[in-house]
Amino acid sequence: MAKMAMLYDSSLCTACRGCQVACKQWNDLEATKTTNTGSYENPPDLSANTWTRISFFEMEEGQDVKWFFLKRGCMHCTEAACVEVCPTGALKHHPNGNVTVERELCNGCGYCTQFCPFHIPRLDQEIATGAGKSYKCNLCQDRTTNGELPACVQTCPAGALSYGDRGQMIARGQARVEYLKSHGFPNANLYGANLLGGLGRMYVLLEQPAVYGLPESPRSPALAQVWQGFVQPVAQISFGASALAVVAAFLVARRHIKMEKVE
Amino acid sequence: MTARIRGTGSVIQLKWIPRYTTLERSLHWAHTATFLILAATGMILFVPIFAPLARGEAGQFIRLLHRICAVFFAAVPIIYALIAPRRLLQTLKDLRFNKSDIEWLKNAFPYYVLGQHRSMPPQGRWNTGEKANVVLLVASTIIFTITGFLMWFGKGIVPAWLFQASVIIHDLAMIVSVNMFIIHFYLAVAHPLMWQSLVSMRFGVVSESYAREHHGKWYWGGDGTPPPGFGPAETQEGH
Repeated sequence: MAKMAMLYDSSLCTACRGCQVACKQWNDLEATKTTNTGSYENPPDLSANTWTRISFFEMEEGQDVKWFFLKRGCMHCTEAACVEVCPTGALKHHPNGNVTVERELCNGCGYCTQFCPFHIPRLDQEIATGAGKSYKCNLCQDRTTNGELPACVQTCPAGALSYGDRGQMIARGQARVEYLKSHGFPNANLYGANLLGGLGRMYVLLEQPAVYGLPESPRSPALAQVWQGFVQPVAQISFGASALAVVAAFLVARRHIKMEKVE
Repeated sequence: MTARIRGTGSVIQLKWIPRYTTLERSLHWAHTATFLILAATGMILFVPIFAPLARGEAGQFIRLLHRICAVFFAAVPIIYALIAPRRLLQTLKDLRFNKSDIEWLKNAFPYYVLGQHRSMPPQGRWNTGEKANVVLLVASTIIFTITGFLMWFGKGIVPAWLFQASVIIHDLAMIVSVNMFIIHFYLAVAHPLMWQSLVSMRFGVVSESYAREHHGKWYWGGDGTPPPGFGPAETQEGH
């Protein structure tokens, strides 16, 4: 199956947040009561029941204030730190490029929330007992594997969202960047074509990624590989070696030590 | 305390001397019990056949069990320190390493594995191996407590790198302590020369001859040289 991807064009987005509503509706997620935080953004952050959210950024340029929007949510990395650290296999890759979290397998350890370079997965957790699960955008795995568009893409009235073959999405994004560059946005760029092995969610941005709070070159944390690549095998090998050494030492000692002489 | 053991054709008399207080033994066994449950519940992430236990509801239950035991694991030494601070201080003093530890280490393999009766340097209440075990145990308990606390309550509050480091350090401390446990278990339960170590941790006493043989400095005092009249002839009977 060909790798698929979502493309979000921030130059077309009007921040209507229809995508947020569509996501909640399709995934049956509870609404969050609106609060005034001094910005049009709402809810205040991603959460266990808010898997996508439009972030607002303001940039002052002389007398002008420029206003930028960004649809946040899981980036569906090809090299996904969350999948590497997940001890249950709840987080996994799919042939279409989606990274999903399976609720029945998740035990709420929260490693994914702390290793994700984009800080996307969120827990609904009781701190004392640790009971809870991890939640994030699954790129509508149920819809996209049945030939439907993700709910957010389907609903976007501004045409800022598209979904399809990843190669085509890159081509579309690059063409759009070229157009924007020649129409007054010299800093326009396509984010995510090659990051972390290629992201399953790419952005057409009007300014540098930092303006949108995005890392310029995100990396899977070095310690994410250490756990499965080093700590786990070292533990298994050393336990086996110690047990064997002890058994061998016992057999040798038993031959050499006469219990009749031991007090 | 004396006990009479009937040997072949002769009667051997063992004199028993106190080595561990009831409180010390309670500390030891309470820490052992919680350590074993913590290690077993942690093992679901390291032994592939236990992997299903890490998933979903089973995983949540095991995480809860791990946390409950962790509270006792951290609390038991603190309670001990509050009840018996002077005894603890004395124990910690006895843990200091000195020159004789190098000599002990040189002779440890032929002595404990090959059963060669070399003259081991006289040891205090703890020998070099016991000291190393206790030092690593105390260090790993502190590391477990700090990193475990950070993972439990610090998620999303402390910086991500600190949480990530806590996961790895917690696991590295686990590797060290489980390996130490395997060796400690062997020496305490299975090793022919050390059979009295389990007796001492169960009943608090060791025999006089065992104390002379393994803990000369503790038994005789000073540098472990027997006083006049208690010559080497006495010490050679012990293995």
